[in-house]
Formats: sequence, C-alpha cells, structure tokens
Amino acid sequence: MGQIQLTDLMKRFGDTVAVDDLSLDIADEEFLVLVGPSGCGKSTTLRMLAGLETPTSGDIYIGGDHMNYRVPQNRDIAMVFQDYALYPHMTVRQNIRFGLEEEEGYTSAERDERAVEVAETLGISDLLDRKPDELSGGQQQRVALGRAIVRDPEVFLMDEPLSNLDAKLRAEMRTELQNLQDQLAVTTVYVTHNQTEAMTMADRIAVMDDGELQQVASPFECYHEPNNLFVAEFIGEPMINLVRGTRSETTFVGEHFSYPLDEDVMESVGDRDDLVLGVRPEDIVVADTDPDDAAIGDHELRMDVTVVEPHGDQNVLHLSHPDQPSDDDALQAVTGGMHLVTRGDRVTVRIPPDTIHVFDAETGTAVHNRRHDQEADLTELEQ
Amino acid sequence: MSQSSPTGSFDVASLVEDVNLRRVGQYALVVFFLGFFLVPLETGIMTAIKTNESVARSLPFAPPASEGFTLGNIQFALEQLSGSFFNSLVMSIPATIGSVLFGSMAAYGLTMVNWRAQMGVLMLFVVGVFVPYQAVLVPLARFWNNIFPLARMIEPMVASIPFFQGYHADLVPLVITHIAYGIPICTILFRSYYQSLPNSLVEAGKIDGASITKIYRRIILPISKPMFGVVFIYQFTQIYNEFLFAFTLVTGSDAPAAPVTLVLPAIGASTSGIDFGIRMSAAFLAAVPTLILYVAFAEQFAKGLRTEA
Amino acid sequence: MARLTLDDVTKVYTDDGGGDIVAVEEISLDIDDGEFLVLVGPSGCGKSTTLRMMAGLETVTEGELRLEDRVLNDVSAQNRDIAMVFQSYALYPHKSVRGNMSFGLEESTDLPDDEIRQRVEETTDMLGISDLLDRNPGQLSGGQQQRVALGRAIVRDPEVFLMDEPLSNLDAKLRAEMRTELQRLQEELGVTTIYVTHDQTEAMTMGDRVAVLDDGELQQVGTPLDCYHRPNNLFVAGFIGEPSMNFFDGSLSGDIFRGDGFDYPLSDATRDQIGDASDLTLGIRPEDIEVGERRSGDRTFDAEVVVVEPQGNENTVHLRFAEGGEGARFTATTTGRSRVESGDRTTVSFPEDAIHLFDGETGNALKNRELPSNRAIGAYISD
Repeated sequence: MGQIQLTDLMKRFGDTVAVDDLSLDIADEEFLVLVGPSGCGKSTTLRMLAGLETPTSGDIYIGGDHMNYRVPQNRDIAMVFQDYALYPHMTVRQNIRFGLEEEEGYTSAERDERAVEVAETLGISDLLDRKPDELSGGQQQRVALGRAIVRDPEVFLMDEPLSNLDAKLRAEMRTELQNLQDQLAVTTVYVTHNQTEAMTMADRIAVMDDGELQQVASPFECYHEPNNLFVAEFIGEPMINLVRGTRSETTFVGEHFSYPLDEDVMESVGDRDDLVLGVRPEDIVVADTDPDDAAIGDHELRMDVTVVEPHGDQNVLHLSHPDQPSDDDALQAVTGGMHLVTRGDRVTVRIPPDTIHVFDAETGTAVHNRRHDQEADLTELEQ
Repeated sequence: MSQSSPTGSFDVASLVEDVNLRRVGQYALVVFFLGFFLVPLETGIMTAIKTNESVARSLPFAPPASEGFTLGNIQFALEQLSGSFFNSLVMSIPATIGSVLFGSMAAYGLTMVNWRAQMGVLMLFVVGVFVPYQAVLVPLARFWNNIFPLARMIEPMVASIPFFQGYHADLVPLVITHIAYGIPICTILFRSYYQSLPNSLVEAGKIDGASITKIYRRIILPISKPMFGVVFIYQFTQIYNEFLFAFTLVTGSDAPAAPVTLVLPAIGASTSGIDFGIRMSAAFLAAVPTLILYVAFAEQFAKGLRTEA
Repeated sequence: MARLTLDDVTKVYTDDGGGDIVAVEEISLDIDDGEFLVLVGPSGCGKSTTLRMMAGLETVTEGELRLEDRVLNDVSAQNRDIAMVFQSYALYPHKSVRGNMSFGLEESTDLPDDEIRQRVEETTDMLGISDLLDRNPGQLSGGQQQRVALGRAIVRDPEVFLMDEPLSNLDAKLRAEMRTELQRLQEELGVTTIYVTHDQTEAMTMGDRVAVLDDGELQQVGTPLDCYHRPNNLFVAGFIGEPSMNFFDGSLSGDIFRGDGFDYPLSDATRDQIGDASDLTLGIRPEDIEVGERRSGDRTFDAEVVVVEPQGNENTVHLRFAEGGEGARFTATTTGRSRVESGDRTTVSFPEDAIHLFDGETGNALKNRELPSNRAIGAYISD
C-alpha cells in the first residue's frame, strides 16, 4: 500500500529553514502535485521522501512504515529526475532493465520480459536497442518513466519531469502521464513550479511557499476558493487581479475606484478595514463604450486598453485607469477570441459582484471567496 | 504493518547494515598503503638530518640520536645548489609562462574560432605531444651549437643585465626548446577546457563588435584563470624537473649555467664514497620550489580541476 | 531606418559524410522598420539558423540578405550594427553588470568613457536594474540575468534586435511578465526586432507578424490572428493554438464528410470551396466545439469524456466519439466552472462556420473558418 504520511516535517540547511513543519497525508493511488515558486521547499520535501535528504525533525511514513532512517533502495519508491539521468552507455533496454537488476526474485529472462512489457506500455518498443543520445527529448522522457515503472514501486516521485520538453510536447506528455498513472494506480508525488501542470494533472494540489504549506485541495478549490493571497496569485494564468484598499461602511475604496460590497460579502468581511479585492481576469466583463455615454453602473469602471495579447481562442487585455495612465497594468481582463479590442480603446469594465474575492490585507487570508453555483453547472453537461 | 510511535521506530538495522567486514577490510588496506607511501619519505627526512656515522649505525627510518643530529648537511647542500637554483628558475619561469600562454592562444584558435584546415593543425599538435625527447636530442644539439648558435650570439647582451652573467645566455636555447616542446600538451589541456565553455560567449563578443584578438584578451583569457593555475603548475613541474634537454644543451654538472637537475646527482659523491645525508638534503631542497608553487596555487588548482570535470 | 530583407536565403550544411543538409530553403521575408517579427517553429525547423545568418554568425549559402539597400552577406558580425540576445544570455561571467553592458559600446564605438557610463546607467534605469550595476552575473537571478542581457542589446542602440528564445529559461510566471515588458520596450524603442521561439503563445502575443517555419521552409507569414484563423495549411493550423486544433481524416462522399465515428454534412457553399478533392482533413478548434448544448441535429454527435484537465478559467476536455474507434479522440474547451468528469456521456456540436477543411494529400487549406464581420477583427487580419 502506498499511502504516505508526513508529520511535522522540518528541514534546516544551516540557518535557513527549507521545509517548515509540514504535515500532509497522501492517500493510496493519489496523484498529488507539490507546487510553488523556486526555493519554496517542494524539491527538498520530495528528496526527503526519496531518502536523498534526512529530515531535521518530523517523521515520514510510507505504507505505514517509518522511513526517516531507511536508505533509498529500501523504500520501494521510484524517482524520475528533471534531467532524466539516463545512463548514456546503456541501450534503452539496459536502462529500463537496470532498475530490476538489484531486485530479487526475478530470473534474467523475466527481467528482459518485464523491460519489453514496460516499453510496450510506453510505446517505445522500437527504440529498445538505441542509446539515449539517439533519442529525442520526449523519447528520453519516456525511457526515464520506463525505468521507474519497471520496478513496480509503491510510490512514484517525479521532480519536474516535463520541464525540459517544448510546449507542445509538454501538453501531450501531461495527458499521457495522467493516463499512465490512472492505469498503474500507483501513488504519485509530482513536483513542479508550473501551475498549469499542477491544475491539469493533480487529484490534489499542495501549494508551498517559503517552506510552508499554504493549501492542500483539489485544483477546483485552489482556483476558486484559495486560502490566501499567495495561493490566489500563484494559481491561475493570467494572474488574478488584486486591488488594495480600505472599507468605508459597506463600500470598498481603492485608489482609483470604489466598489459597493453586497450583504453576503459584508457578512464575512465583518469589521476588517484594510482589504484586498480580487477578481479573475476571465470574470471581468468588457464592453466597448460610447465615450459620450456618462452612465456607469455600480460595479462598472471606465478604463483604457494598453496592451492586447491575442491568443486566438481568447484575448488578454491590459487595462489602465484614465486618471493614471502611467500604471499601464492596473487590471487584466480576458475576452473571447472573436471579441477584439484595439490598443487605446476606452472600454467599460464590469466586475460582477458574485465573482469577487476579498482578502485581509494584513494577514493575507481569504475572508470571502467567489460564489459559484455548482449544481447548475454540473447538470449542463449531463444528459 | 505495525504503526509504531515515531521515537520507538528508530530503524537500527538500516543504520548498521553498512558496517560489515568488507568495510573494515577497506580501511585496513587504506592504512597499509598510507604507511607504504609515507615511510620512504620519512626515511629521507631522517637521513637528511643525521651525521654520516649516525646513518651508518642506526636504522634508516629511525630518528637521529642526540649526538647524531646535524643541520650541516642541509647547509652544505644549500651552498652547493644556490647557483643552480637561480639557473633553474631563470630557465623554468619564462619557459612555463611562454608555453602556457602560447598553448592557451593556440587552443582558443583551434576551438572557438572557425577556419579551414583546423583539424589538420590540431592533429599536428596531438602528434607533437608524442614526439619522444630522445629522438630529437641530436638534432637539437646540432641546431643550437652549429646551425644557430644563439647562446654565443647574445652572450654579451645577457652579461650586461644586472644579476646575470654571460654564461646565463646558455639557458636561452633551453627556454625556447621547452616552450616549443610544452605548447602541444598545454594546447590540448586548454582545448578541453574551452570546449566546455558555451560558444555563445564568443558569439556575443562578436556581436558586441569585438575582434577575435579582443575577444581572447578581454573575455576568454580572464575566464580561463582557473585553468591557467592547473596548467602552470603542471608545466612548471615538468620543466623544472627536466634533465635530458638540460644535459644536452648545457652539458655537465660543472657548467656554470647548470640547473638543479644537473647538479643534484653530483652532490655528495666523492672518491671516498657517497654522503647520504648531503644527498638527501639536496634532494629535499631541490623539491622546495615545486612545493611552494603547489601551496601558492592550491586553490586555483582545485578550482581548475573542478571546472574541467 | 532599418528595413531587413531576405531574398531567397538558403543555408546548406555539409555533414561528416560529405552529404548536404538543407537547413533553410529559399526564405524570402520583408521586415519593416520598427516591426516585431516572430520566427516560430518546432526545433530543427531552421528558425535559429535564419536568425544566426542575420547576425552574421553563419554564412549565407545562397540568396541575399539586405539591411535597407546594403547587402549584408559578406559583412562580418562585428560590423552589422545589430544586437543579439541569446537563450543562455551569454553574459561574460567575469565582468560586472556594468562591464557586460559597456563592453559592446567600448568595442563598437569611439564614445568617451563618461558617455558610455551615462548610457549604461540610462538603460539600467529603464530596465529597473540600477542597483545591480556592480554585481557579477553569478550573483543574479534568472530574471535579472535576462534583463542584463536585454540591457546589453539596448544600450548599443542598434538598427536591429535579434532575440533567440530569450524567455525560455524563465519560469512560467516570470515569462508571462517579461513577454509584455519586452513588447512595451520594443514599442518604446521602435527598433526592428526579430524574435525566435518555439512557443506559439509567445508568437501569438508578441508579434506584429508571425513567420511560421517548418523543415527549413516558410509556411506562412501574417498577423497572429491571420495564422490562427486563416492558416495556409495543416502544419500552421496544428502548430498555432493551444490546445491544438482537432483534425479528423476522412473522405468526401456526396455532400457528406465521412470521418472515423461521425458523418458531417457540408453545405453547398462549403462544398463549392473544396473543389474536387476527395481525401480531406476536417479541422476544428477546441473552443469552437459546443459541448452538451444541443441535444440533436445534423452536426451534433454523441461522445464520451476521457480525461478532464481543469485549468481554472477553463477546462480542457478530452473526448471520444461514442461510435468511433480508440483513435478518434479530440479535445474541447469548456468554461472553468463546469464540472465534467471522465466517463460522462455528452453531446458535441461542430458549428459549420467554425470548421476548416484541408486537402488530405498536400495539407493545404481549402476552406478556413468564417469570421464575424467585426470591425476589430478586420484590423487584426491583414489582407
């Protein structure tokens, strides 16, 4: 069984605390992604799981067994490295087989058979007799996976395995890895700094910053119900818009606009004064404006378009407030691919009240997250 | 699977699993070889500070008894060697600097600049490494003595330099020979280092408008400092310790221009026998310059080896 | 003024066996003064070679390279008045930031020292790295090194900027930031820029025009939205856009396109555009597929959800036709708040105005999608 338990795990390098008091339970067969900016302690955590680093304090259990002092080869884990770490002088077959060589209970023929079997699963049977330097990046990646799979371990540990591939291939391998993990049903801990990988692949995401765990939840929750400012900012591309301001009665007052908060939001805000208002770029509604039309709704503002980034299926607009053009990136909004706006246009921007997030400006904790009507959305797709 | 409490589940087995007979054997072997290599050295030092009688009477590696101790050997050897020390340094330092510098330039030209016939020239350098010393001795002697007697031509000039005597001119052909002979190996060493540098550095320099020589002087030369440490030490040791060329071109231990390696075999030998104390002292003194060099460049040396790996 | 022209430029390498490898084949491009042109393509497509020929780091085998009216073919890199930003940054490791930036000015101009100093400081101010002037590259973060590399190019005030995948070593967040910043800088400076990347997102969002290369040949040159909505051929259609366009191979029988697992009726107008090709490939972008909205109709099919990749703002849904084989997979994007799960049954509709048809043999586009007569779209798509 491959359930993993980390309790109060701590790692110090000299005076710096790399991982601080981390507790995390990972279920058997789960795909957990550890994500965070570089230096957040995610790799250190993975390396402690692998037995390549010793925890300063705290405990690691895999399958209920205490692992802190066990050498890597006795942990029944397999690891895929960022640079693949293939043995350059061995063929693909030998590379894959190598993982089994130290394993007991196999005859030589069985080892060969197993290597061929794994190669088939990965679709690299025709590469078995090539050397690593004759393979493309994607193929090397598969061999590295094969070397991990062949041992049939309890746990897969992956350290940014896709970061050396180009964008197209990465998207492809993402789905493939997911399929494979489903098929093999092995507990997987996957480290990345890329929030897209985290969102698309994980059963659950563990967001880390500065050695501390910020949130552990499903991708959906991390995106729509972030615990704090860091998670809200880190998850999502383009980034969530954040505006600092204060509360005056039931109105949020920022530097350039004020925004009335409805009852529901006020209930969670209470008497906090310093707030941060957050809204995802795709929730902002952008409409072309008639410059003479002075009427502006409660939740609307006038803004100028400073940059348009067309993506084809959507456009990312960078907006500025007319009274402060120097801040050319005050808000970002996403519009549909067919709705085109030109740089320099003045537009009306509407922030729907049910899409806003409110954070405490001092602590950064979320006091109110967006509303969403899950049931209605769910039924839409079912027949 | 039992879920034991964190403190109780200390995995003793995996802590001690590596401590076994094999490891004990490995350490024993290490200790043995340490002794094997260190005892001769110790013996040498002991012999150098013993009087002749003491050498004859005590065990070679035993320390001298109180009346057997002397520093006279070292003093005598130093007097004998002082002139040749100067000769050796006058020869080794320019020869080392020359071969290292030219080697680095050649490596730069052969690695980071593209031109035709590059491979052919590189092959010549590789072959140059393998030309045996013995094969060139006779032509070398004839060349410097008969065909192009450089030493005799510049003798008056050398004599006019302060601290130098006319006979030091005899060292000039030796210096040139060492530079020529050292270039191939230095080139190969630098080449492997330059190959590990990203090519984009030179390209960035070109786009910045610098000429090929400028790029060498202002970018490549400063970057290769650690490698210079390694090659300099290697080359200095080679040239300082070299005997054959010196013997051929300077001829004999009694020549005034003789470097240390020529004088060393003659010290302590007389008709009445060999004075081991003096010999040992001289041998240790002769090794001192290379030791100083290693200590002085130790950091660069280690850095260079690291970057090369 | 710096208008860069490539006239049938070809690059042929000789390999070790004496054979010829054509890296770049007869590329003709006209790059206007002040234009931002992105050269994009998969690795090995010849984009970097083309850039290196412009830089003078590779010789031109055939054809002509002109800057205004001056033929550059035989001008050495030192004398071209161009600046280049390398993927690896290629900062001089032994020089301080100041030294790195002033080196180019010292070598290529006769400016006095204090003028050089002043220009370097102006540039670092512009890039926000003034406080790093005395550090060495080894002490800088990736993003800072990137800025220094840019600064080294900007400070020389060249006729042309060449950039070779300058953002590929940065992490995702920083890359998105630098993308807009680079765009702004280029606009401010108005210097002709040629930018090489394998990342189609960079190409779409940054370029005034995009030149798509494959296998040494130019596939299409146009505005980003041109390439997205009106691709010349299968390659461009598949390369531009993330997730990629869906392709279905099939044949025409009467007015019906027969693919694996679905039959798609074509209207007369569409039928007329195809001519007499019978082997066809039907293409449709993931965001144009309507999932679960219509219950029936000619262009609506039953499908099963295979994998869901949530991205937060949208979901990428991998689907399979209910009646198709294992290979008949395709992807659609749905809004982020709809919860779809693998195994769900649903319907998909392909609106006819969104489909592309390609010749099955040559891959050339026979029919591209209809575009709404929107004023803004016209401005973004060149004729």
